[in-house]
Amino acid sequence: MNTTFSLAWRLFKHEARRGELTIILFAIVLSVAAVLSLSLFSERLQAALTDRTAQFLAADRTLYSDDPIDPAWLSKAEAMGLAHAHQVSTRSMAFGEQQMSLTDLRAVNLDYPLKGAVKVAPEPFATASETSELPQIGEAWIDSRLFQLLDVRLGDSIEIGDANFSVARVLGEIPDAGFSVFATDPIVLIRQEDVEATNVIGPGSRVNFKYYFAGDSSALNAYYDWLEPQLDDEIHNWRSVEDDDSPIGRSVGRAEQYFLLASLLAIILAAVSIAVAAQRYSQRHYDPVAIMKTLGASRQMVQRIYLLQITFITLLGIVIGAALGVAIQQVVVWAIADQVDVSMDMWHWRPLIIAVFTGTVCAVLFSLYPLLKLFTVPPLRVLRRDLGAGLSSRMIQFLAAGSAIFLLMWAYSQNLKISAILFVSGIVLVASLLVVTHGLIALGRKLGQGRMGPWQLAWARIRRRALDNSVQLISFSVTIMLLLVVLVMRNDMIKQWRDQLPEGTPNYFLINITETQKPQLQQHFAKNDVESDKFYPVVRGRFVAINDERIRTNVTKEDEEDSNEGRQGLGREANLTWSLELQDQNVVVEGEWLTAWQPGQPYPVSVEKEAAQRMDIKLGDVLTFNIGSEVVSTTVTSLRDVNWQTMQPNFFFVLHPEAMKAFSPTYITSFHLAEERKPEITALMQPFASVTLFDVDARINQLRDVVEQVSMAVEFILVLVLAAGSLVLIAQVQASMDERQQELAILRTLGAKGTLIRLSVIYEFLIVGIVAGLMAALTNELSLYLLQSQVFQMNGSLHPEYWLIAPAVGAVIVGVLGALGCWRLLKLNTSQLLRQMV
Amino acid sequence: MIKTKNITKRVTTSEGELQILQPISFDVKAGESVAIVGASGSGKSTLLSLLAGLDQVSDGEIFLDGAGLHDMDEEQRARLRGDKVGFIFQSFMLVQSLTALENIMLPAEIAGMDNPQKRAQDILDMVGLAHRGQHYPNQLSGGEQQRVAIARAFITNPQILFADEPTGNLDAKNSEKIEDLLFKLNQESNTTLVLVTHDNELAQRCQRQLQMHAGELTEITENATDTMHKQAV
Repeated sequence: MNTTFSLAWRLFKHEARRGELTIILFAIVLSVAAVLSLSLFSERLQAALTDRTAQFLAADRTLYSDDPIDPAWLSKAEAMGLAHAHQVSTRSMAFGEQQMSLTDLRAVNLDYPLKGAVKVAPEPFATASETSELPQIGEAWIDSRLFQLLDVRLGDSIEIGDANFSVARVLGEIPDAGFSVFATDPIVLIRQEDVEATNVIGPGSRVNFKYYFAGDSSALNAYYDWLEPQLDDEIHNWRSVEDDDSPIGRSVGRAEQYFLLASLLAIILAAVSIAVAAQRYSQRHYDPVAIMKTLGASRQMVQRIYLLQITFITLLGIVIGAALGVAIQQVVVWAIADQVDVSMDMWHWRPLIIAVFTGTVCAVLFSLYPLLKLFTVPPLRVLRRDLGAGLSSRMIQFLAAGSAIFLLMWAYSQNLKISAILFVSGIVLVASLLVVTHGLIALGRKLGQGRMGPWQLAWARIRRRALDNSVQLISFSVTIMLLLVVLVMRNDMIKQWRDQLPEGTPNYFLINITETQKPQLQQHFAKNDVESDKFYPVVRGRFVAINDERIRTNVTKEDEEDSNEGRQGLGREANLTWSLELQDQNVVVEGEWLTAWQPGQPYPVSVEKEAAQRMDIKLGDVLTFNIGSEVVSTTVTSLRDVNWQTMQPNFFFVLHPEAMKAFSPTYITSFHLAEERKPEITALMQPFASVTLFDVDARINQLRDVVEQVSMAVEFILVLVLAAGSLVLIAQVQASMDERQQELAILRTLGAKGTLIRLSVIYEFLIVGIVAGLMAALTNELSLYLLQSQVFQMNGSLHPEYWLIAPAVGAVIVGVLGALGCWRLLKLNTSQLLRQMV
Repeated sequence: MIKTKNITKRVTTSEGELQILQPISFDVKAGESVAIVGASGSGKSTLLSLLAGLDQVSDGEIFLDGAGLHDMDEEQRARLRGDKVGFIFQSFMLVQSLTALENIMLPAEIAGMDNPQKRAQDILDMVGLAHRGQHYPNQLSGGEQQRVAIARAFITNPQILFADEPTGNLDAKNSEKIEDLLFKLNQESNTTLVLVTHDNELAQRCQRQLQMHAGELTEITENATDTMHKQAV
């Protein structure tokens, strides 16, 4: 064993020094570095984004409860090192001097918010800025809208329940206000100590108790594990950032999946490059193995020597790769520090473990087959140089490599779907490539004949090597395909994000516009050069029954006679609109749109799909609304998929105009006012005091901010993967150049001109590049379609532009790399070339 | 030292079975030097590979120092080669990633001998390359590489030395030096030498010459008319 070890070590030392291990070492270094830097970076980024998202929850976790919770639960949280805050909220009427309005009353304790910040504005509808303060006892901070609705000013007093509050600040924003524009009443923020005096909370009133928790995730998880058995699903609802279904939550979720995808692709890239390098490594050691066997080395000794050598290489590769990976990640984090706040404080072990695991598994599994082959090299090779390895089962190789990649992806992603999609695309690609390779051989036989020019040489070489080097063609194609997937996915994703919030997205909404005000407002806006959107008619109605079943309608304390009996409804009054025109970004997914209605039939209604699911409404159900003193019954004829991520008015219920003829609606519209024109808003709305104005700029900006940061992060991940992919391509070309060395030496010796050789190599690589690019573009479509439709919940689309771009880019890159590699070889003179041949 | 009885070699090709060696029987005594001559493709390297246990016979028996090679598996033959056989090849067959000294040490290490480095250094001195021990094969001239190969062949004091065209890749001047060295060491260590060559001058320096022609072997030193297999029949 000692001899074996020292022989292995000596071989390793010399080969490393002479640069003979460069390619396989490089492949392992690359795989470890790419996987480590990508997953470390994405883990840090995710932590940063999760933190950002936590600001919209005002905490890392929240617990909603219908009743106050056991104080022991909070003591436990404290004992476990968690920060906590509380809020009591209810809907209540607020009264000004003359006016009154329904409000969303939020009473918080002094620790609120744990994440994010409360923002206040100097006057209604002005730009808000962060404050670390909270209302004093006896103070109320109220939404800009409420100033309008109650006709109050700063310093005035308002009445909520039995208590009086002094209006101390304009409440611009609270972190957990929610994203729904119309579902909310204007917020009033007071201190929890003041709740009792208002008397709005009593038996039967609909009150929400919300508890906020923040701390590190392991403590939070441990706390939840402790808490979960004591929670009652009917009363309690535990939420974490991950449950966030807001546009921000979804964007971040999608980005996280993208990072995962990118890291998976890095793993495959690493595996491909190691597979190529290991094959070459094995081939280069045929002679030493034959010599050792001839000199009397047993098979076992040879096996030990090479297993040890692979171990040394793997260890060295992992150490260098890990160091490089950390360095790359550090540089990237440093480079984007201005745009994304990525914390460097925390060290994440998971990426390091994954990277080391990946490096080891790749090195072991992908060198297994080449090594097994190496062990079968017969000693007779010392006399008969043409003898290669005795083992030749491509099937074993593909099976071993395939299952290794799949297991690695699955273990890493814990996501069977993504892994399976990538794997299936890979299989389709490999299978088609094998067919194409056969086609190339046939073509090569035809085109490789005749007078020896560079094209003939190139085709002849393709024919001769096509099968042997199908691994190389596959690796080129897989690499290009993976790069395409990451690139196109990123383009599609960012485009869809940005499309949600194009320039000029409405940042103000107007409601309560009367029939008479409508033309006046249109005229006024036109005069002031403000372009308003469509006017949607709205009537507020109480949704009272589904078929014959009554619905719980306790909206405010005043409605409490119904208490909690009956079916679940909206929990508030419904905004009913009517139109024959289907709104933008609304798609009928079941049934037929309202235009299919014929006079004489019951009036139709179209219901938003998710709301329908929540309330268990099906096609054909009869929905009853109370509008004023009238009762309107409608039959559900369609369910709509609504894109809530757009900033346009969307409605749960859309009725037929015929059904609503008897009612006089108010109108909703929206408009965009540029940042610099914001000061004009008060003057602009002056003539329409009864119209309620919503300022959604803050929310749009929040959304845009996050989308920008996430996009930026995605871009960097893309650059990292592209860099890793390019390096893999270089390694592949380099590896195949060495295989061509012998042929070049012979051609040189025979007096072939440098141009002929160079051109023939370039043409060969051009052909391989075009084929690889084309195949990659086609399989890219398959994997993208599957990924987008199955994993990313996006609409899949074809990308015909890449069918041309990919082969062209593939040909250029592979061709240039081939030319460079060839140029290096041609610089050597013939005797150097011959001597370099092992 | 070597005893063969009716050994043949057949290979299967795309055009059917091909008989490379006709039944051959001959003996080589310990300490004898034998040259196998013949044109390219006559089967002389195939014969060498069978005698050295690098390949297996299709029929017949081969005994090397009394051990039946034809009954052994690859592992047993490897052990026998390590213990008793030395090799010299036309293309030197040095491990490119080991230095000259380490190449020479290799068989001694594989055989588990003591002080392989000291032995290698001594023998490197004998072949006149003491100062080139730390050089890699591609830093040495052809003649020097072959001298390293000879040193490597002798380090384990083999009982039999097989040489396949040992001067085939060398110019006349270097060939002569290598031949001198080979025969000198051969005599000093009393090794049995079997060499394959198409160089008649080199063959003449051996005690016996066997002629290979189309898979048949003929003794040309002692009895030029007898073909070996006929002798055995």
